[in-house]
Amino acid sequence: MERLIFLFLSLVSFSFAELRVVVTYPWIGELVREVGADRVELYVIAKGTEDPHFVIPKPSHIAKLRSADLLVIQGAQLEAGFLPPLLLQSNNPKIQPGSEGFLDLSSFVRLIEKPEVISRAMGDVHPEGNPHYNLDPHNMPVLARAVKERLCQLDGEGCTLYEGRLKDFLGRWEERLKSWDKGFSALKGVKVVAYHSLFNYLLKRYGIVLLETLEPLPGIPPTRDHIQRLINLKGVRSILLGVYNEERTARFVAGRIGARVVVLPHDVGSIPEVKDLFSLYDELLRRLKGD
Amino acid sequence: MTDLVIQTILLSFILLGIHSYFGLEIVRRGIVFADIAVAQFSAAGLALSLLLSGEPSYLISVVFALLAGFLVALSKRVGEYSEAFIGLLYAFGFSAIVLLLSRSPHGMEDYLRLTASDILFVSRREIVETGILYASLGFLLYLRRHIKGDFFRELLFFTLFALTVASSVKLVGVLVVFSILVAPALVSVMLGKGLIFAWVYGAAVNTAGILLSFRLDLPTGFSLVFFHALLGVALTVYVATFRRRKGY
Repeated sequence: MERLIFLFLSLVSFSFAELRVVVTYPWIGELVREVGADRVELYVIAKGTEDPHFVIPKPSHIAKLRSADLLVIQGAQLEAGFLPPLLLQSNNPKIQPGSEGFLDLSSFVRLIEKPEVISRAMGDVHPEGNPHYNLDPHNMPVLARAVKERLCQLDGEGCTLYEGRLKDFLGRWEERLKSWDKGFSALKGVKVVAYHSLFNYLLKRYGIVLLETLEPLPGIPPTRDHIQRLINLKGVRSILLGVYNEERTARFVAGRIGARVVVLPHDVGSIPEVKDLFSLYDELLRRLKGD
Repeated sequence: MTDLVIQTILLSFILLGIHSYFGLEIVRRGIVFADIAVAQFSAAGLALSLLLSGEPSYLISVVFALLAGFLVALSKRVGEYSEAFIGLLYAFGFSAIVLLLSRSPHGMEDYLRLTASDILFVSRREIVETGILYASLGFLLYLRRHIKGDFFRELLFFTLFALTVASSVKLVGVLVVFSILVAPALVSVMLGKGLIFAWVYGAAVNTAGILLSFRLDLPTGFSLVFFHALLGVALTVYVATFRRRKGY
């Protein structure tokens, strides 16, 4: 009975309300904004400066999830540390996994580093593969389409608007993609070390060679033995950090091997220069090149 | 959101009921560290089970908490040095966790989820279960007076204490448990009042803390810890200066 009432209410409400969309990370928010414009009311859970693995839950998160029509997540277990209890307490049947109001973007891209065998000796490995796929700009068009599809599904009346906005976005994106491809191609073959396997999609896309990570295993802080091995590396140009990683270890290793430490944005809002999806890759390119 | 606020406040009351009783007993015994030591041990048990099997085991964490409770009861035999010993237990439990988890991939994430879980995330079912559990533990506490022999009475006290703390740590985390346990008891003892006052005072602070955390959108668990600590400190300072002037 409750479900019937709920179904009836949801059918009624869509006809005059705009969509309330909650997303986990700022870059997803940007995609939703590009496609949905003012027709969607948007709320972003995490801040760009936060470590995406560890987001601090607050009462407002639950409040927003309660009234959401759609929840869009990055998936591949990146949100596993904070989202499940929020989702449970939201008590909102519309946005539970498997329902129409739940969109997991990781299902639209091919994930890399999917482990053959899962063993706990491998570190904090995500069984689905590396979840940081948003760092490859070539993944954005398919994701924007997925967002548009779902918005159309939930709000048929707005579909024409969403289609138009998507087309406009894709046009601008393809154009910029050409210039990024050109810019990054100059970095092919450059050797780098990273703190965490955060930028692997970007590095893989453009043939930048990731020799090692400062973490001996994903999610485990650098140990002395591991750092001892790293200081014998040759020909490393940069050590890449996320904005939330500690810099001391990186500075120590960089000093020993003659590399430079580069802090890279991983999301919109992680540094002041990155205000939208376009400037995210502009800034990644600028910082990697060392301008 | 009102239902969530009410639910959270209700849980804080359930926690307060039994914890402030323990708090009074512990403040009177002068071993406030006992709580944090037992809580830390139960968390170490969780960490160990994560390392061994990848799954948290409530049983192992209870066994660890009981062990710590037994050690605390035992330490009462060295009288005045008891508190130093308990402090050491705490450091032991804490360092054990870090060492265990440094070997365990995933560990820190899992562990944080277990011990820094927020009071907001406790489901209705867990609240009911906890209420039933604490009611039975409270009944056993009441029966304690019929036990002959000081040491055994103390042992039962610390056993029940360990069981309580192990279950509440799993629900709301070490710090929230500590503040609900110590702050109302301290204020009550300082003002020369008893359990009822601790309950009323604690309930008022809990309610204010939770409402403020919702209003200002702050993490709820830590808001509770903060307000309990802030008021406890302020009242202690007030009582200390006020009494000196009166020539106590």
